[in-house]
Amino acid sequence: MAAVTTIALLPLLLVVLAGVLQLGALRVSAARVRSAADLAVLVAVNDQDDAELASTGRLRLASDAATVAREYFARELEMSTSLLASPAEEVAAAADVAAYPIAPAVDARTGARYDSPAVRILADVPLRTPIFGALAFRPVTVVSVLAIGSPR
Amino acid sequence: MIAILVPILFAILEFGSALERWLAQDAATVQAARLAGEVGGDLPEVHQLLADQLRGSGIDPDRVVVEVVPARVGWREPVRVSVTSEHPVAIPFLFSVTLPLRSSAISRGEVNR
Repeated sequence: MAAVTTIALLPLLLVVLAGVLQLGALRVSAARVRSAADLAVLVAVNDQDDAELASTGRLRLASDAATVAREYFARELEMSTSLLASPAEEVAAAADVAAYPIAPAVDARTGARYDSPAVRILADVPLRTPIFGALAFRPVTVVSVLAIGSPR
Repeated sequence: MIAILVPILFAILEFGSALERWLAQDAATVQAARLAGEVGGDLPEVHQLLADQLRGSGIDPDRVVVEVVPARVGWREPVRVSVTSEHPVAIPFLFSVTLPLRSSAISRGEVNR
């Protein structure tokens, strides 16, 4: 009786197994994308306006901070292309990247208040989830990423 | 029945372990990339940090391949750290396989030589 029940439930067990593995893989992919955004923001805020720093001693973002953040976000994503459902360049180009060189500032998109200069990346990253697709769910899962960094 | 349920259980445990290890390796690689940008490239402290982080996550650093490109990075130049390891997965009654786990991160040189 137990053997018959197991065999009868086998399709369900396999679906559960596949779903569990896909969820795990999605978690890794999402973490990797968040790391990409975090690192891009860090790279951008680490580059200071040297003239401002020398004359006033204040930390201020470089004028190209937003461009650098977007460029490095694309570079980081480029190394995970097998996980992405869209080209890395497209994802980075569509990301909302903003630099707030003068503090205090209020982020118009998130409503957050920054007490020091900041760079923010807000992006929707489409990730491949082929097993979900095979199980009649969506083959692409979009993960929203928010990364904010300030120099110190 | 055992021949069906045991492989399913082991598949969840083994692949879960592989994914956990991959996450840890990714996080360690990001930290190493940051340090490589800060100190200027492929220096012993980068390998030391990576080894400490990997060891803390239960990964043997001696069985991991690390690549830092370029070895000497200048100001505002990109530096890439890649880490590759192998994780054995054994599912009773079905198969044994070795999964390659690859992690990479890019940072930017902060040393003005």
